[in-house]
Amino acid sequence: MSKVYDYLDERLSISELKKFAGKKTVPLHKYSFWYYWGGISLLCFLIQLVTGILLIIYYKPGPDAYNSVRSLTYDVDFGWLIRSAHSWSATIFLVSVFVHMFSVYFMKAYRKPREFGWWSGMALLILGLLFGFSGYLLPMDQLSFVATKVGLAIPENIPLVGHTIANLMRGGLEVSEITVQRFFAWHAVVLPLLYLPLLMFHLFLVQKHGNAIPPSEEDVPMEKRKSIPFFPNFILKDLAMWLVTLNAIALVASLFPPDLGKVTDPLGPAPAGVHPEWYFMSSFETLKLIGKVIPGMLGEAAGITIFTLGLVLWCLVPFFDTSSPKGRNGRYATYFGIFCLGVLLVTTLLGYVAG
Amino acid sequence: MNYPIWEVKGIGLPWVIGIIAIFHIMISHFAVGGGLYLALAEAKAIKEGRANWFPLLQAHSKFFLVLTGVFGAVSGVGIWFSIGLIQPEATSTLIHNFVFGWAIEWVFFIVELTSAAVYYYTWNRIPAALHLKVGWLYAISSICTLVIINGILTFMLTPGTTWLGVVGSGHESSYFWNAFFNPTYWPSLVLRTLVCISLAGVWALVTYSRLDDDSYGNAKTQLIRWSTKWLAPAFLLMPVTFLWYIMMVPDANKHLLELGMASIGQGSFTQVTRIALLSVMSTSTIAAVAYLFAYKFPKDFSPSHSIAILLLALAATGSTEYAREAIRKPFVIGSHMYSNSVRVRDVAKFNQDGYLTHSMWTPSGPSVSQHELGKAMFRGQCMSCHTENGYRSMKRFLEGRDAKAVGNILSMLRQNKSDSPYHAYMPPLVGKDEEVAALQAFLLSLNQTTSANAVAKR
Repeated sequence: MSKVYDYLDERLSISELKKFAGKKTVPLHKYSFWYYWGGISLLCFLIQLVTGILLIIYYKPGPDAYNSVRSLTYDVDFGWLIRSAHSWSATIFLVSVFVHMFSVYFMKAYRKPREFGWWSGMALLILGLLFGFSGYLLPMDQLSFVATKVGLAIPENIPLVGHTIANLMRGGLEVSEITVQRFFAWHAVVLPLLYLPLLMFHLFLVQKHGNAIPPSEEDVPMEKRKSIPFFPNFILKDLAMWLVTLNAIALVASLFPPDLGKVTDPLGPAPAGVHPEWYFMSSFETLKLIGKVIPGMLGEAAGITIFTLGLVLWCLVPFFDTSSPKGRNGRYATYFGIFCLGVLLVTTLLGYVAG
Repeated sequence: MNYPIWEVKGIGLPWVIGIIAIFHIMISHFAVGGGLYLALAEAKAIKEGRANWFPLLQAHSKFFLVLTGVFGAVSGVGIWFSIGLIQPEATSTLIHNFVFGWAIEWVFFIVELTSAAVYYYTWNRIPAALHLKVGWLYAISSICTLVIINGILTFMLTPGTTWLGVVGSGHESSYFWNAFFNPTYWPSLVLRTLVCISLAGVWALVTYSRLDDDSYGNAKTQLIRWSTKWLAPAFLLMPVTFLWYIMMVPDANKHLLELGMASIGQGSFTQVTRIALLSVMSTSTIAAVAYLFAYKFPKDFSPSHSIAILLLALAATGSTEYAREAIRKPFVIGSHMYSNSVRVRDVAKFNQDGYLTHSMWTPSGPSVSQHELGKAMFRGQCMSCHTENGYRSMKRFLEGRDAKAVGNILSMLRQNKSDSPYHAYMPPLVGKDEEVAALQAFLLSLNQTTSANAVAKR
């Protein structure tokens, strides 16, 4: 065994890696639980990658999309499970990414020198949402067809370029087989090509700067602060958390596999209770609320402008709340975070309650 | 049928029992294993002179007293209320056959709860040896509660041929011990004991995760490592015991699992198989997670880690209990009473005289509409497992089916042939032709518009 190790060590410098990992530590405090959420997101992404590759083997984009998903779900052995695991890991992925983002925000982990970690994380979140949007249409049943039609009506209202963007995504004036082809290309090729290098960059930054401590821990004297070695302590705990997550995904994926609705009928009525996926519910409901105050195209344009501004402010927070431990700006940033979290939760709930 | 029928919209009747029962089992099994845990831990601390363990064991016994004495006792009474409302016929059968068993059970409960309170309140007040004896009294009385209840629970799956041979004769209670030591009694007792031991370890980890390692010397580390070992017997012996249990389950019930395994690839496999597999997976994961979180790094073990283990234990307990309950289908008491409270021996009688004729709490007389009759049939024969538009929704299940299709399903259920796809897990539909027709009309009305509904009601 040691000969194998020596062989690999000479060529891959495993000892140096071990030495580096051994020196690295992770802070230990009452908020340490939130450090696991980045790892959970990563696990969910890996599950999607593997199950996505398995789905591609049977999936046929274009006119045969619906039939291929039907065959995959009902004829192919364990196809239903792979599809269900892909869908549920996507949901849990986005939940964990949101939790990770807010925990990073409230721990002020966007401050110097971690600004690029924050920005790359935001870009990963946006790409994650695009993964969700593009993947939703792929079964091409009536529900996904109508939901995509409604979803693509939103960018259409962007002043000047909206119409062109929507047509480019649709591949024409209407959602059709060509749209499925394009969405598949985005979902399985373009987005992964953008996502993977960005993820590597994000992980590199996490390794370089380590875990940030929350403001409450900054008051604790250095000699009283606790930490654990990254390797093996934190890695093995992360592994245990992965096992817990894997159980949760297996539980929901096997008990609640996603339905396949009726085949798309462009002239048919929208299925009862059609609404966007939960991660778009907040923006959908907010647009509806703004539409009630400012009706028509103007309202939708105002809504999109407010979203864009909100997102820009959210991304630029490292410039506003700099590294000062207890500044006024830090307090304001926290209030802004609580406000955004509140809006997100309230409008999402409102969307489901109001139907 | 002798009792009124309770209706719970949304989650339906099974989940009322299910939710209460899963939490109760998490706590009651902890109470059984935990008694043994406290007595053995205290004995070890005395023998090896580990004085630093005592404050932690005292803290654990306080948590123990509150959890088992309050939540365990309340949820236990909750089970009685819920089974009495949801399955009154089956509950009545259990009371009539096991009145002696229940009496013994309650005596042990009183001893158990009293000794748990005495154990906590006499820490450092009576000699250590006497305190330990109180601990053993608690441990033994709580184990006895399991020994008794296990006989009644397993009876419901496998009443045994002797009891089934005399059922209806009025002499059933004379065969108490035959019914009690039924075919699945012993494997189930071993299985449940293993679960109790592992839950004792899991809950102990919850107590110790809240402690700062520096406060009690090395006690946190020692107790966490020792408590994690309590998961080992279950992890090692569960597979063998589970196989033993399955061997003792009647072929018809095993068929329900096999039916699921055969069609697993197509995803049409039964819910019980899915959940049985989840139970195996979550049980084996707990050991790995406990090793990584607790045994390997006891000093860093925090409440969030213990909550993660506890949630896994809840998933394992919940899925195992669900599978155990579901495998009993189509009966609530094996080969004697169907899950909709119809006794096997009454099927022919109900088909001849009518089901509603024998139901005391259904509307009667010439003014009763077909819709009301159909609803009464639904409430009596379907609602113990289904809801109109919630859990196992009939509205969703029958969506898009016309009168002929619904009629065919009901006809299949009524004939209950052995090659019917529903035979393995659905009770037969009983009643006269007009009652079945009323049920058919009611089921069709679930997917009709409001105006069509009004017509049906008229």
